[in-house]
Amino acid sequence: MTWVTWRQHRLEALWALVLAALLGGSVGYVALQLSIAVGQCGENAGLGYCLSGDPFGRIAQALLQFHLAQYGLVVLPALAGAFIGAPLVAREIENGTQHLAWTQGVTRMRWLLVKLVLVIIPLIAAAALVGCLEILFLNLQGPHVNRWDVFDQQAPVVPAATLFALALGVAFGAVIGRSVPAMAATLVAFVIVRVGIAELARSHYIAPVIQTTRDLSALGKQADPTAWWLGFPNYYDSTGQLLGNLLGPNTGPPSYVIQYFQPGDRFWAFETIEASILTGLALLILAFAVYWVTRRAS
Amino acid sequence: MIAPIEATGLGKRFGSTWALHDCSIRVPAGKIAGLVGPNGAGKTTFLHLAAGLLRPTLGEIVVFGRSPQDQLLLLLDRVGFVAQDTPLYAEFSVADTLRFGRELNRRWDQPAAEERLRSLDIPFGKKIRQLSGGQRSQVALALALGKHPELLLLDEPVARLDPLARREFMRRLTEAVADEGSTVLLSSHVMADLERVCDYLIIIAAGRVQVAGDIEMLLASHHLLVGPRLNGQVRLSGAELVKAQHTERQSSLWIRGAVQALGPGWREEPLPLEELVISYLSTPEAGTQPRPELEEAAS
Repeated sequence: MTWVTWRQHRLEALWALVLAALLGGSVGYVALQLSIAVGQCGENAGLGYCLSGDPFGRIAQALLQFHLAQYGLVVLPALAGAFIGAPLVAREIENGTQHLAWTQGVTRMRWLLVKLVLVIIPLIAAAALVGCLEILFLNLQGPHVNRWDVFDQQAPVVPAATLFALALGVAFGAVIGRSVPAMAATLVAFVIVRVGIAELARSHYIAPVIQTTRDLSALGKQADPTAWWLGFPNYYDSTGQLLGNLLGPNTGPPSYVIQYFQPGDRFWAFETIEASILTGLALLILAFAVYWVTRRAS
Repeated sequence: MIAPIEATGLGKRFGSTWALHDCSIRVPAGKIAGLVGPNGAGKTTFLHLAAGLLRPTLGEIVVFGRSPQDQLLLLLDRVGFVAQDTPLYAEFSVADTLRFGRELNRRWDQPAAEERLRSLDIPFGKKIRQLSGGQRSQVALALALGKHPELLLLDEPVARLDPLARREFMRRLTEAVADEGSTVLLSSHVMADLERVCDYLIIIAAGRVQVAGDIEMLLASHHLLVGPRLNGQVRLSGAELVKAQHTERQSSLWIRGAVQALGPGWREEPLPLEELVISYLSTPEAGTQPRPELEEAAS
């Protein structure tokens, strides 16, 4: 079964390796250049400002400018789900080869589990590796870096999102039985769930901290660059009347501001919670896929 | 002796359609049995139920005394299956395909499988998609025979082949199973494919078994009677009417059972196997469960 899985998926493995290496390589490369820059200009050099002007530094600057890693780390898990997860079972059903595979000497359960383990584990490992490189890269930017801006690009969430996308792909592929519709369904579902969690659930994992301040000169990231500032500041006048989120010519003089935020030291708790949610969903979906393939598919 | 396949009251429903209905079949050991019926008759459904690919909605099927649904692992080594259109991995080479069989089967005879393909001059380095339809089906057969199955199920294996490749496939199949004494259940909608190789026949139409039995028994128990045009009901004793056809001047009756003396002008005409099968297929409502006497005679 190991050989069969390798023979069937070696092309995908090659693609995944190339893309992961490109992504990991570029993150690692920028991190390396930044660490050289930090050596030259000190801790507060800031993102990219001190990169040397030689060609190596320029390449790093270009990579930073295009946010290659930021996009790659969000998009590649989805693509893994669509291009590797969805066809895993669907391509067999499409070609009728599941009837060949399921009438050899191994049960469907073993057939599917071996495939899942051998395909999913290396991809998660690659995702975790690139996610860790991104953490390393952020660490080099000093203690004031805002990690929340790249919440989806760091280690526990990236491999969890990869697992989630693969699980969606396998399940849609098994139920739909055709690769292309299963790929489309995987991408749509992945985007809906991830955006839904990010926009509706994430800020509520732990109740936000409420800050009331009369110092209107330092709000949001100016007050604390490592925190996740939720929404806009709420301005109040001296009578306690809410003036709104923006100050205009017609609003009275503000007296104090109330802001909601998640402090920077909660970041890893939030990463762990979101990674656990995605992993939990993925395991449920995989269990459903195993049930479907072993009991329902034909 | 345990029958390789024994189905009782077997039914399979997809949505609201019964693909197979109240189907009782006993495939006797050591025979090459043909499952014949038109497209959509339930042949594939029956074979998939026997191979453990589907679960019955009603009734029961046992293969070598075991359920292909719940005890499949015990059967996988003993049952070979060649699915419709002989699916294989198109990107695998012939050698890869044999390795696939070796990796996935505890019981696997690599030298025999290689020898089988070598004798057909099928190049091991070629990819499956580069093979002709005939070669492809031979590779599928070699893969199914590689584990020396005691029961071999084949779903329309020659449907897409040209007449020459059909003949070659059937020849190889019969040679292989003659050597091993395996039981074969082979489906087709073309009677001519089966007539040459089968010694047992199951006629299936509209999801029901019409009749089943040894081919010689079937031929001996069915008669075509031709006589003057009948206007009323015909009374048969010790026989059943399978099909009746009337022209202006004469009536033809296909009956199962004893030859009837229906009166002056009636005679018995030869009834070839293909005619017999068609008489059932054209009037599926005439079919009943296999009659007990045919069953006994067959086993």
